[in-house]
Amino acid sequence: MAGFVQQVVEGLGAGAIYASLALALVLIYQFTGIVNFAQGELAMFSTYIAWQCVAAGLPFWLALVLTLAVSFAGGMLIERVIIRPVEGAPELTIVIVTVGLFIFVNAAAGWIWTFLIKDFPNPFPGGALEAAGVSVSFSTLGVLGVVAAVMGLLYLLFQHTKIGLGMRAVATNPASARLVGIRVGRTLALGWGLAATVGAVSGVLVAPLLFLEPNMMGGVLIYAFAAATLGGFDSPLGAVAGGLIVGVAETLAGAYVGVIGSDLKVGVPLVIILGVLLLRPQGLFGRAVVERA
Amino acid sequence: MSDLVVADLVAGYGDARVLHGVSFTVREGEVCAILGPNGAGKTTLLRALSGVVRVRGTVTLGGTTLAGRSPDTIARHGVAHVPEGRGTFMPLTVEENLRLGAYVRRGGAEVEEDLGRIYTYFPVLKTRLKQAAGSLSGGEQQMLALGRALMLRPRLLLLDEPSLGLAPLVTRELFRIVQAINAEERTTVVVVEQNAHLALGIAQQAHVLETGRIVLSGTAAEIRADEQVAQSYLGYRV
Repeated sequence: MAGFVQQVVEGLGAGAIYASLALALVLIYQFTGIVNFAQGELAMFSTYIAWQCVAAGLPFWLALVLTLAVSFAGGMLIERVIIRPVEGAPELTIVIVTVGLFIFVNAAAGWIWTFLIKDFPNPFPGGALEAAGVSVSFSTLGVLGVVAAVMGLLYLLFQHTKIGLGMRAVATNPASARLVGIRVGRTLALGWGLAATVGAVSGVLVAPLLFLEPNMMGGVLIYAFAAATLGGFDSPLGAVAGGLIVGVAETLAGAYVGVIGSDLKVGVPLVIILGVLLLRPQGLFGRAVVERA
Repeated sequence: MSDLVVADLVAGYGDARVLHGVSFTVREGEVCAILGPNGAGKTTLLRALSGVVRVRGTVTLGGTTLAGRSPDTIARHGVAHVPEGRGTFMPLTVEENLRLGAYVRRGGAEVEEDLGRIYTYFPVLKTRLKQAAGSLSGGEQQMLALGRALMLRPRLLLLDEPSLGLAPLVTRELFRIVQAINAEERTTVVVVEQNAHLALGIAQQAHVLETGRIVLSGTAAEIRADEQVAQSYLGYRV
């Protein structure tokens, strides 16, 4: 039993990271209807910025704050410069643009920092909390705490601030939002900035567990897609729940289903994506839109 | 004075021109009805006034130029447009929809006060504050759209076919409220309407638009008395 609980805890730790990147995906999807394939690479690039700051001698938390600020500005800039020109273009065009962005950011990181792996400092203390035969590392607790805090802040922003209300209005009906005086272009840029910031958090959380290298987020992105699909692409809460479920499912499948083991567990998100799309395309928390005319 | 002055207004979509030089003036505090058949350019005219479509020509409100500005800037100058299809923020609650109407205003206390005022105009909305706006009936959504527009404390209110899809009783109630608002708050109103009877009932001035040009202008009484209009839009001979 303790072994099982142990696996679940490990799964939640991994899931929280998928959840944070899924959250970034969902944020942009909500605003623009764009699935941003470059989200993971942007997170990776942000993580390199954090690494660079730490390497330059800055204390970790200061480096983090700086990284989040740069990521926010970078996200807004990308919206203005790269996404704005194709706004309103067919979905395929926009998907290709984000795939192009993926390749570009990946190559840029390799060019600047090389493809050699780098050690990324773990902001949380080593050691673990032990209770009833289950040990939870401070690192896992830290990851869960950070993701919960990000979720809480986003909730406050969207539900309890005027700017958050404006952002939701733009996400629902941009034409009407413009008519009540909301600067829609600026709001979309804000959404991209916010998503890039949340993505940066995800990168910084994942880097100490893996190693920092330009392809670090590739796998995480797949899990985040599974999480967003499972939770519903239009639901931030669903993204987090989806991330946790995907993390736990993957860990348990790897531990208990003999044929899967640790080699095949990367197939789990694929199975989840396929299953959700077949059975409940809007996701667990997604809204199947019902309206009276 | 914040009269609405429109002169030589040209507008359209891409290469297709819809309005070919429209000119009229609405005095502050008056209601102006725009009548005309389908495809005459009535909706485009409102869209041109609120900046949704590009225009050439002159549009000024109280001396401030509106032509050529973006919809969000025009809204900030006090123009509230209730668009065709009502522009409801479907998944948001009724209260959030109303608060969005006051998005560009400062002064929390005044906004709260205005919310109260909207509830006295539309008591039904007060009973549905926390409900998703998309779940309202058509008539309720039209009231919500009007309430949202009023939350801006507009100097100019643009109404596009408020009667569309509504039961006659609901429509009459809606026009009664528009008239009350116009009387109490001196809001200038431009209303585009298929139901000429109702529109002329609350308007001082009216213009008949046909294929992008104003073919007839006058006071509401003059327009109602015009035989041509009577035949085309009122459905009877005088």
